[in-house]
Amino acid sequence: MIRRVAIVGYAQSHHQHNMQKTREDMVFEVCKEALHHAGILREDLDTVITASTDFLDGRTISSVFLSMAVGAFLKDESKVEEDGTFALYYALMRILAGTHDVALVEAHTQGSTLNPHQVSFYTLDPLFDRQVGVLNDVAAAGLQARMYMNRHSVSEEHLAKVAVKNIANAAENPCAHRQMPDVSLEDVMSSKLYYDPIRELTMSPISDGACALILASEEKAREITDKPVWIEGVGSCQDPYLRDRNIQNLDSLKSAANTAYKMAGVKEPLSDLDVAEVSEKFAHEELMIYEALGLCQEGQGKNLVESGTTRRNGEMPVNPSGGALGADPVCATGLIRVIEAAKQVRGEAGAYQVPNVRRALAHGQFGICAQKNTVYILGGNGS
Amino acid sequence: MKSESEIIDVKTLPFTANFIWATGFMMQRFIEELASRKILGVKCPGCGYTYVPPRSRCGKCYAKIEEENLVTLSGKGTLVSYTTGHVALDGQGNFIDLQEPAIIGAIKLEDADSTIFMPIEGIEPRDVVEGLKVELQWREETKGELEDIRCFKPA
Repeated sequence: MIRRVAIVGYAQSHHQHNMQKTREDMVFEVCKEALHHAGILREDLDTVITASTDFLDGRTISSVFLSMAVGAFLKDESKVEEDGTFALYYALMRILAGTHDVALVEAHTQGSTLNPHQVSFYTLDPLFDRQVGVLNDVAAAGLQARMYMNRHSVSEEHLAKVAVKNIANAAENPCAHRQMPDVSLEDVMSSKLYYDPIRELTMSPISDGACALILASEEKAREITDKPVWIEGVGSCQDPYLRDRNIQNLDSLKSAANTAYKMAGVKEPLSDLDVAEVSEKFAHEELMIYEALGLCQEGQGKNLVESGTTRRNGEMPVNPSGGALGADPVCATGLIRVIEAAKQVRGEAGAYQVPNVRRALAHGQFGICAQKNTVYILGGNGS
Repeated sequence: MKSESEIIDVKTLPFTANFIWATGFMMQRFIEELASRKILGVKCPGCGYTYVPPRSRCGKCYAKIEEENLVTLSGKGTLVSYTTGHVALDGQGNFIDLQEPAIIGAIKLEDADSTIFMPIEGIEPRDVVEGLKVELQWREETKGELEDIRCFKPA
């Protein structure tokens, strides 16, 4: 990259089913805390980028009422739709362009406003699929899971093992929504069946939540902190619409990861990375994500969960924070992964800290069957 | 803090949006031809990919697709994936439990590359397998509306 850019502060809410706070209060609190965490003032911000989705916010031009909550009063501010990792991309580009030095990136969703699965229906082709009327993100995930499972002899128990790993990890994370420390395979496999094989506990919970992070150019980052988390690589890519893609593979994630790896000089992901935080909205997606990220060969994702490789104390921990199965405030979920990865690099992850993290991967996604994907590679001073 | 039942929720605003979308030439032909029990697709002149429903520009090679590229598909296809829904959304954000589970199929029509997603009827969920041959069920009287295509059944 032409300039080095680092994450220098962050904060997230205690994600939960219904926060009973206004969106503005929820967002203000995380932005204020992120500034405090970085040890800077609102006056130090050059630009603010937010992410949300109008349908999920229940209003259009949904950032209009947020500019003060995010600290952008009389400042340069812009918004992207969908996942917070796209907002981070935008902020990164502003700093790389040399026109700004310090950015605040914010993302949020209150799932209690309108069921995000209902909103997913409104992302379908209005001229055909919405008229047929049977699909939504959970139904499509059921089709994707079945196809992937048939192709690679993956059982429902493999999916349940992913869910148990992540939900148990979430119990160590005070910000996670699901707090089920004793969750068992039986709990997962007997949870309510939505669209076979997708069950209540193999899909993410509907959460209220927000997060914010502070991004700075190298010069500013070194002034602000002695523990900058450098963005070493980034890649973003999208698949075609559901009808014209192969939903059993995450081709766009593979492409995004390869771009990020090339930029960061990652050659062997399994050995070059120390931890990954990924946006698995459904348990089967985590197995598909392992493969797209090159942590294993195609179809071998189940082996990584069977062998314990991706457990918190495994060779390649994935989602020690609990991932999206731990909390899913939709538009914030990817940016929370970036924050969790940054916490691991800085050694600030507390009860779920992975030892000796030098390099971490964070992944955000949006759209039915993970249509759009963004990958970040983060590193500390020593990486 | 007040319990959830004590919190006053601001409900919906009295606003109903009646969206009107332009269908475009290809989709209009697709819908009109349903009246004569024809399923139209287009075969891209650039890369040969066959879209259903049809479209006017290839999303893969960007070739312009013309009326002459329209092809009639048989309405027969193969199930490439399936799921049994035990719930359905009610349009207001609630998952409603279904009395009878409903099967949704991912179907590749003969000579098409797109996958379409439609209800599957006439078979028990436990009997559904990948590779099942299925056939489109037409509404008794076809009118040139999307409602003419109801579901697929085993062929």
